[in-house]
Amino acid sequence: MTMPVEVQEPAIEELTVTDKPWIVIVWNDPVNLMTYVVYVFQKLFGYSRKKATKLMRQVHEEGRAIVSDGPVEKCEADVARLHAYGLWATMEHPS
Amino acid sequence: MARWKRFRAGRDDTLTVSLAEEELSLLRALPEQLREVLDDDVDDPARSRLFPRAYLDPTAETEEAEWQALVGPSLLRERLDALALVTVTLERAELVGDWWQIDLTPDEVGAWLGVLNDTRLVLGTRLGVTEEERELDPADPEAGPYALYQWLTWVQGDLIEELL
Repeated sequence: MTMPVEVQEPAIEELTVTDKPWIVIVWNDPVNLMTYVVYVFQKLFGYSRKKATKLMRQVHEEGRAIVSDGPVEKCEADVARLHAYGLWATMEHPS
Repeated sequence: MARWKRFRAGRDDTLTVSLAEEELSLLRALPEQLREVLDDDVDDPARSRLFPRAYLDPTAETEEAEWQALVGPSLLRERLDALALVTVTLERAELVGDWWQIDLTPDEVGAWLGVLNDTRLVLGTRLGVTEEERELDPADPEAGPYALYQWLTWVQGDLIEELL
């Protein structure tokens, strides 16, 4: 690594805005079976049975749960896969 | 004697499904009904349930439109492919004893799971189901569709039990 010639002030505010991950939320719905939701979380995200079950319970009891996060493109892909499985998912950027 | 199971694991990751004659008839009618919803372009709550928004923020219309354009066609194609695959499997049912049986490959199982769930989403949306079970008078016009919904719930539940 080379030493920087000139030390630049990092643009902290800008960084925190752009680096903050998007989040994918799954919402409760009366049709999808609890076991099916666990199955989908395990299959799509590779979550353990325990983690998938915990997230499913959170969706069921609190009405929603954050199931994944990351850059906007990743979240768009995650939402598409969740919709393909019939789960009700949205994405947002926490401000 | 082994307990009767709707889905039974077989060789090479296959699952064998057992159906009564009238159950097979019921399932054979599903793909066409679902295809009508998928082919329909008009604003339909059931269709919207299958293809919801991605962006929660209602002001993110540009992002939403771009996302729909990007993934919409493939999400529709996947559902139509699953329907076609399920239709093919239902055609090769064989009568074994009292039951119509079909051996399903993992891909075919995935298609079954998708079609069962999509059909339940469509029926559930149209019937306005909640998490509470309903008691319907047999004369109620919704009694038939609701009974089908419940039966599909049971079948899908059995299938997931085998997969988990």
